[in-house]
Amino acid sequence: MTIEDEPTTATTGAGGIGYDDHVEESRLAQRAADKWMIPGTVLMGTAILGVFGLPLFLRGLFLQRRAQLGGLSVRPTIVTLIGYMVMLDGALNTFGWAIDLFASHTYMSRIFLPTWGNMFDAGYFWHYNELAVGGAGAPGEKAWEVLGIFVVFPMRIAACIGFLQMKRWGHQWMIVTCWTGMLMWMGYVANMTMYADIRFTGVVFPVLGWWIYDIFYITPFVAIPYLHTVNREIFTD
Amino acid sequence: MSETSTDDLPLGTPKEFRRLHTIIRRVCYVLLFGLVVEGALTFPLLAIWYGVPELTPAEVCDELQKVMYSDDTRECETHDLDSPPFGGTAEAQNQTTAEDIWKVQPTPLYPRVGFRELVENKREREAEEGG
Amino acid sequence: MIQQDREKRRALILLQVVIYGYLLVMFLIQLRLWSQRGW
Repeated sequence: MTIEDEPTTATTGAGGIGYDDHVEESRLAQRAADKWMIPGTVLMGTAILGVFGLPLFLRGLFLQRRAQLGGLSVRPTIVTLIGYMVMLDGALNTFGWAIDLFASHTYMSRIFLPTWGNMFDAGYFWHYNELAVGGAGAPGEKAWEVLGIFVVFPMRIAACIGFLQMKRWGHQWMIVTCWTGMLMWMGYVANMTMYADIRFTGVVFPVLGWWIYDIFYITPFVAIPYLHTVNREIFTD
Repeated sequence: MSETSTDDLPLGTPKEFRRLHTIIRRVCYVLLFGLVVEGALTFPLLAIWYGVPELTPAEVCDELQKVMYSDDTRECETHDLDSPPFGGTAEAQNQTTAEDIWKVQPTPLYPRVGFRELVENKREREAEEGG
Repeated sequence: MIQQDREKRRALILLQVVIYGYLLVMFLIQLRLWSQRGW
């Protein structure tokens, strides 16, 4: 914590308050904003309830921006956006892959995944639940799911938490997780292309459907240039 | 820590990269809205295309299985907790009806499911069975 | 300092070109297969 010192002119907005007060007020403002953004992101992570989550999230963003304009030291908007977006990205992916890995014989899984698969990517339709472990049977698919669920997405969630807290390790982990996100994308798409017949034959919207649907999961790609050009000093130990 | 920057640069953004960061921020907004809208529209789209509400979700499951394994007698059964990956045999583990051209890159032979075609399928099949 | 930034910017642009280029190539390959096989 800071030492009680003579007040420094640290803010432009509320002239003449002490540094400690400034830090405290900033912290509270940030907390107030996150109180909206976290539930918002959780709801958005469920996909179906996403439209209810978005307004909550935007409200939190608005509160944060207002605090920022008022001179408080809150997280930069872009850090907030990238942090929550990567988390949302991870959550949405995790949901689908988790039910395919662990709940493949439930009604939910068998209604949602093969229908989605039949429309966009028959990897989740073709011989569904024929594998001894169940779920999608497309060549290589289970391997990517295991990599995602057990390695990449947990790390991604951890990275986002640290990143949103403006921690140095958060920034570093975020760099790593975005690069691994890139690896996942590139490997996954290559695998799909190798077995394109399985993935796209008989699909309602072949090729275009999958790309239009999945291109929105490209946040890690977009975040990489930011992570490498941001001034690292803003992330603390 | 908070600087009164005359440039009005966001915290952490060096001057040289201001435009880059602005672009990235805007792209993030687009992706965010895209993901949310997409997430919201997915279930309704799938439901309507595959025959809900005329078919119940369980019936959609049945009809889809019939297409998946080219077998009109196939159905979606309930399974208890002792199913893959935790135990038991997979639903279709010993199936013999699926139609594919088997080579190193297999080609499925099932037909495309058109808009609400599953409803048609069910109706036709029941007509055949009835008549 | 400025030289470093310039090099960094160039490297990042190259990275973007490579990764989006890769995705585009994969997409085009899939489109080509689609037109050939008529899925």
